[in-house]
This record gives sequence, structure tokens and C-alpha cells, in this order.
Amino acid sequence: MNTPLDTEAGIPVRDSVTPLSDGGTRTGAGLPAPTWHRARVLVSTPYGRGYHFLRLEAPSIARTCQAGQFVMLTAARDGDDGPVLPRPMAVYGRDPRAGTIDILLGVVGDGTRRLASFGPDERMLVVGPLGQGFRLAPRTRRVLLVGRGIGTCSLTTVAQECAGTDVEIVAVASGRSADRVVGADVYRAAGVTRLHEVTDDTGASDVARLRDLLTADLDQAPPQQIMTCGSERLARLCEELGRRWSADVQVSLEAHMACGLGYCHGCATGTRSGPEESPLICADGPVFRLSRQDAER
Amino acid sequence: MTEVQDHSPAALDDRDRHFADHAAYGTDLGVSLGALRLANPVMPASGCFGPELAGLLPVHELGAVVTKTLFSQRRSGNPSHRLTESAQGMLNSVGIPSPGSAEFIRTVLPRYRSFGVPVVVSVGGLAVEEYLRITEELADVRCEALEVNVSCPNLEHGGLAIGTDAATVERVVSGVVARTSLPVIVKLTPNVTSIGDIARAAEQAGATAVTVANTFPGMAIDLEGRSAVLGNGVGGLSGPAVRPMVLRLVWQAAAAVRIPVVGCGGVSTARDVLEFVLAGATAVQMGTATFTRPYAMTQVLRDLDALCHELGIARLADVRGTVRI
Repeated sequence: MNTPLDTEAGIPVRDSVTPLSDGGTRTGAGLPAPTWHRARVLVSTPYGRGYHFLRLEAPSIARTCQAGQFVMLTAARDGDDGPVLPRPMAVYGRDPRAGTIDILLGVVGDGTRRLASFGPDERMLVVGPLGQGFRLAPRTRRVLLVGRGIGTCSLTTVAQECAGTDVEIVAVASGRSADRVVGADVYRAAGVTRLHEVTDDTGASDVARLRDLLTADLDQAPPQQIMTCGSERLARLCEELGRRWSADVQVSLEAHMACGLGYCHGCATGTRSGPEESPLICADGPVFRLSRQDAER
Repeated sequence: MTEVQDHSPAALDDRDRHFADHAAYGTDLGVSLGALRLANPVMPASGCFGPELAGLLPVHELGAVVTKTLFSQRRSGNPSHRLTESAQGMLNSVGIPSPGSAEFIRTVLPRYRSFGVPVVVSVGGLAVEEYLRITEELADVRCEALEVNVSCPNLEHGGLAIGTDAATVERVVSGVVARTSLPVIVKLTPNVTSIGDIARAAEQAGATAVTVANTFPGMAIDLEGRSAVLGNGVGGLSGPAVRPMVLRLVWQAAAAVRIPVVGCGGVSTARDVLEFVLAGATAVQMGTATFTRPYAMTQVLRDLDALCHELGIARLADVRGTVRI
């Protein structure tokens, strides 16, 4: 969620994914029912370079949201005729006891600029929790989280959920520069085992170097699951590492959305037409299983 | 306003409060589309509503619900991207994916029926024959009206929308009317020289009402990528941006026919509803507004009651078509 993916030539990741729910059950058992709040903005402050942090009072969503699920934020204030489309945003962090959710958004266009302009004590419409989040398998004892830029925001709640359990988290937070790496604070607070912060300006975020770093770190004790968001190249690296370690690979995708619930069919993954409609990012995802088999059909 | 009982306000969602809230002024908002009586004039626009909204607004308060356009055969829709935003509006090229009639009747329609309000089934086709077939397939199905979406491309005639030709509209509508006992609403395309001519063709073919109108054709370009934003290249514009254009079309259509006109295009507030009614609309459909705020339709109903009270309107139908020119 949240950020345009890095793209390169080749088959887009969105054409290579399959829903986590086999049989296409969108309203799968165990998913919390969506609700909405006209949420009080508690904190609204710039973050890093080009990002903005919001803390919203949204008790029902804070209580029920699962890792990797998302919310829709309406950028139009009461009485405004636009922007008409709410913005899908990953939940960066949540505090069920305080009844708050944290959103970190990349300020990239009119909608996100308006969202960033909401001041403390204003009310923002938030709908959620939405979509299929990351699935942690019962046998999993180690998870690798690989996020790029604002995409890391989809992964941080996985670390929050694993905090205090026997599941070990190794996290990669990648970004163009140090002020564009996000998530380190949440990861540290969640007590992750290791955090690799890598940036373009040092060259450490390069795929080949990252591959070396991760295989050196994890070949002896590989993760059972890999979860990624925010970069096509890193998603492909995760896919490769998944084969190397026989690990399950899940990816969170982003899209423009209108309804966020599955009825408008505006966010189908498929960049090509087929006989069957491709999965919807909002309802079948945003978290999908990454598999090359589909792309090779 | 009904007071919420037994809960501290903090324990309730804003959503819960919206569900508990009730109209207070008793304005008579009831309207009729032919023999079909609606408790109020607000219903969703086809494609902009689904059973997934059940928990987010009190759907049972709506005048009716309208399904996504149903085709006889399964359809997959257009490639991504299917959506983008524009000033006060949005463009979509979803391309009407459809489960096909058998799957719709088995799994989708029961969920619409569960709301306890009239169900309007929107139907489409890519040729005259397809409209007749889907109507026949729905012959034994329990619903309260059909809405015939004539904005689909006519594959028999170079893909021009069926609704742009009065003679084709008449053929489609008379064929549908002959095959159903239900009220038939015809949803017109705005992309015509004379909306009055097309509305008259629908009326003469036996339509119960016309919906004015579908989306306006539009396009968006990604300058950096030098490519069309929408996977289909072009799409349909909706939202507040189209409201003045649709208001004019509603006014023209209402002047051209005696059957009811359902206004559809950019309605977001109770004031918009009243403007459409003054222009001649009997009822309204809301689409894009539900994306912006899922509870928009029921909020508009409550606000409409209050607004009518404020303006001294006891019965909504009394002011229909009363705009002074």
C-alpha cells in the first residue's frame, strides 16, 4: 500500500500474485467487520522527507485491525466536493488500549497534501479495517520483513503483533536516503531481532548487496515466511529468497481505490484482460501470495 | 433525533450513532416510479453499491437498491488501471465485470433482497438480442424493477453506445417490456445530441421511467509515462464535476416525457437532491458520493428531511419540476 512501486521491465508483480484465501472467499472467517469513524486527529506532523504522520482516534479499528489490513481516509472535508476518492493507507501502528491508529503517508499529490493539512482536533473520516492482511502460519518461528520507502508501513504491524511471542523478526527498511527510511522506530519498539536499514546513497539498498547481506544473515537459520511491500525489485528478490529457503512469500500491493470493499471492482490486479476477472487488491488483497507460476502461464 | 440509550457516547462508533439516528421532521419523501412505490427518492447508482456496504450505512432506509449491471454471460471487465481521480470527480473504466445471470440469481441477488427494500436489477448487453435474453433469464426472479443500461457499446454497430440511437433504444426497450411484467427503467447515456429524443423513444417503447444519466466519456494522461492512465485508454467521468451538465439533461428529459425521470450525476448533498427535483426528477441515484463517504445516501436522506422542513416543503413531490426559468 501507499506508494508507487518501483517498476522495471518484465512482468509486473501484480500479474504474478494469487489470493491468500483459496477459493476466493473475500469475507473470510476471522476478518473483522469494517466500520467507520469520524476520527479526531490527535497528532499531525511532518516525518522524514516527504512523509507525514497522523495519529487518529479510531477505537473500533484500533481494536480489531489485523496486520497488513488497511483503512480508507477521506481527504475531502465536510462540504468539500473533492477529492472524491478516499486514499487507501496501511495502518502503520495501532494501540488498542488507547484506541488510536497511526498512519504514515507519503505526500505525493493533492489528496495526500490535503490529508497532511488536517490539524489536531479536526475530524477525518476513516473506514476500516479492510482487506486481507498478512497470514502468519502457526509453524512460523522466524519472519523476514522487507520494506521499501513508505511501503514499510504495511509491515510494521506484523512486528507489533509478534512482539512478546516466540516469533523472531528480521526486518529490512530500505529507502533512497536515511530520511526516507521509515519504520525503524516501530520496529525497535516492537523488539525486532535485527533491523537492517539500507539506503541508495550508500549503495547498501542495491539488490545484489541486499541479497548478500540477507543470505549471510539468514542462510544458517532461514525464515519460514517473507513479507514485503513497496518495491517490485525487492519483491522479486524476496521471491528468489523464498525459493532458496523454501519460505512462503507474501506481498502487499497498492492501487487507486474507490470503495475499498470489493463492490466497485476498480482495483483489479490484472494489467491484461482474461476470461476471468483478476483478483481485486482491496478485497482479495492487499496482501497476496507471490508466485511466478501464474506469470509463466 | 432519537436519543441513544444505555450507552455512554464513548462506547459507540460514529457508525453506531448514524444507525441509531432517525429523521425528525416527517417530510413526506415518498415517490412513485409507475406502480413502484418508494419510501423516499434516494437509491444507489448501478455499480456504486454492493452488499459489502451492509454494515456501513442503514441500507434498509433507502428508497431502493440497484445492482451492478448484469450481463447474461460472465464478463471479466477491463485491464487495470480502472480508476483515476479528476477535479471534483473520477474516471472509471471498470468495464462491467459480471458474474453472469445464473451465478447472480444464485448468490448475489439474495444478498440484495435481504435489505428489505425494492431491488432494481440493472441489465446490459452488447447487442439487442442480449438485452432480450437477460430479461428472459430474469423472468422468474423476484425483484421490483429492471433498469436497462443502454450505455453499453453495441458490438453489432461498431461499438457506439446502444443508447445513442433512438431507434435502437426503442427496439431494446420494447423487447424488454414485452418479456417482463416488471417496471422498466431505462438508464440513458448523456452522450447524445438530444436527450429528449432518446427519452421519448424509451417512453414510446413502454418504459416506466428513465434514469438521466450515465457517466460522461473522458480520458486521463500520465505525462511522465506519456501513457493513458486507464488501462482501457478512456473511461467514464462521474462525481460533482458532472452535476451541472446532468441537471440540465434532467430538466430537458423531464420536459420531453410524461414518465418519471431519475436524476443521476454528482448528487452528494440534500441540496443537490432538491435541485434535481426542482429540475423535474422524481428520484435520484447516488454513486461517487458513496465512495467519498459510505454513509452519504442515508446522511442525505436525513438532511433532506431537515432541509424540506426548513424550506416549508411538506411533500417532496409538490415541488417536482417547479424550477422557474
